[in-house]
Amino acid sequence: MEHPTWQITILTFALSLSVLIGIFYNRWLSGRGRSLFIRRIPGLSALDEAVGRATEMGRPVLFVPGIGSLDIVSLQALAILSHVTRIAARYGSRVIVPSADSIVFTLAEEVSREAYTAEDAADHYDPEDVRYLSDNQFAFASGVVGILNREKVASACYFGSFFAESLILAETGHQVGAIQVAGTPSTTQIPFFLAACDYTIIGDEFFAASAYLSREPTLLGSLVGQDVAKGIIIALVIAGTAIATVFGVQSGVLKGLLGL
Amino acid sequence: MDFILYLGKWLASPRHGLALWLLIAGGLALGVAIFLLLRATPGRYRKLIVMAVTFLAGLFYIAEFFWSGTIFGVENFLSPAVQPLGDVIMVVGSFTLLLGVVNLVAIHAKAIRAVRPGWHNSLAFFIAMVAIMAAGLIPYLQEQSGQKGSQSWTAVYQILFNGMLAPLGATMFSLVAFYIVSASYRAFRIRSGEATLMMLAAFLVMLGMVPIGIYLTHWLPETGALSNLRLERITQWILTGPNAAAQRAIAFGIAVGGLAMALRIWLSLEKGSFFDKQ
Repeated sequence: MEHPTWQITILTFALSLSVLIGIFYNRWLSGRGRSLFIRRIPGLSALDEAVGRATEMGRPVLFVPGIGSLDIVSLQALAILSHVTRIAARYGSRVIVPSADSIVFTLAEEVSREAYTAEDAADHYDPEDVRYLSDNQFAFASGVVGILNREKVASACYFGSFFAESLILAETGHQVGAIQVAGTPSTTQIPFFLAACDYTIIGDEFFAASAYLSREPTLLGSLVGQDVAKGIIIALVIAGTAIATVFGVQSGVLKGLLGL
Repeated sequence: MDFILYLGKWLASPRHGLALWLLIAGGLALGVAIFLLLRATPGRYRKLIVMAVTFLAGLFYIAEFFWSGTIFGVENFLSPAVQPLGDVIMVVGSFTLLLGVVNLVAIHAKAIRAVRPGWHNSLAFFIAMVAIMAAGLIPYLQEQSGQKGSQSWTAVYQILFNGMLAPLGATMFSLVAFYIVSASYRAFRIRSGEATLMMLAAFLVMLGMVPIGIYLTHWLPETGALSNLRLERITQWILTGPNAAAQRAIAFGIAVGGLAMALRIWLSLEKGSFFDKQ
């Protein structure tokens, strides 16, 4: 197995430590009755609007938790699904969740059921709304396109890992007139979502979703830690640029520091 | 330590016939026993068990990854267990595939029973599923039982897979080309300063990548300050300068965000969403 160099190990521990310090610092702050400011993320604020629109039109909401397998990205997508489904359950709306991965499907089923139960709307939960379609990328895409057209969804949310099918889904959603909110850490797909969706959350905003939606002090604290970690990375980028400028890119100093 | 290594090797060693079936049955019985035990455990304790397992599993992978060489004279004894553990996770995950198929069958069977609009699509699903399963399984089973695989079944499989599924996938993929045009038309409409800037950048990049664009500024010198105004140079600068910088900034943000999320899940701090619901 491959193991990291000591430089990478130190950096990872420093970043992890800054996140943990942020978490415990904010918990301490909230214990004293103070809270931190979190800037507005329009894409996440639009989720309520999207569900509200679907309720007014009497049409369902579509939530696609990406086509990736169970990982950090899918877990975050499921956390957002939980929020969306709870709002929909409160309003008595349907949320259709097509899935391309059987593990994510099983979890999505559980999350949806729990959300309806938590809002005392277990009777509104329809097991057929959480659907396993196919693990084949384009078979899944065609399945979702079919749902978008047949069910005439009023709002579509795309959160998770996406690949070439992202534009097929988002453009079809646009054609059926759905309000669309997307969020993905797949950098190659962000431009497609930006072009075709009404709201797109990009980069680390995706991982800030559960903190933003729940306002839980622990999660907000991790955002503080993330900002500190980004500060460390920015400092390293500036230091690296300065060293490369002074000593040259091929110099032994830079290679020694990077462990190359 | 030696026991863990021995257990790992024993589990990973190949088996055939009765020993294989006994191992599968033993694994299933163990899985069912753990499931029943978890079901019988009160919610509060069950949550603690899940938190402990999550923490230990995370600790295993972290320790294995960062344990390079020897630490205090102890070699990394975790690495040999990575592969068997990965296999276990894959086997557990494969059970959920069955749940996925059950979901598909239930939805489409209901559509046919109730003669819902489009019920014939559900019928097509059953025909396709049975056909491709038969075409894939029958030659495999024939081969396993020592018979010569039937060529006709292999041909049916080829027709279904290479002749139907692959072209259907390619057809869906080809739609992307048309969707790119319609999406970029909307995105590049000049509505604001940002949209104008994006349109201008896209125009220059596209022009700098086609022969006509390169021809437009070919009269400029190839060296010196004026050469930077050649379209292919501008294109290159946009791609490797502002574009690459923005992409890397997003990538850094994603990496840090992913790390924070992983830490929250590992330490069971991810609250406020479905993680803390019982």
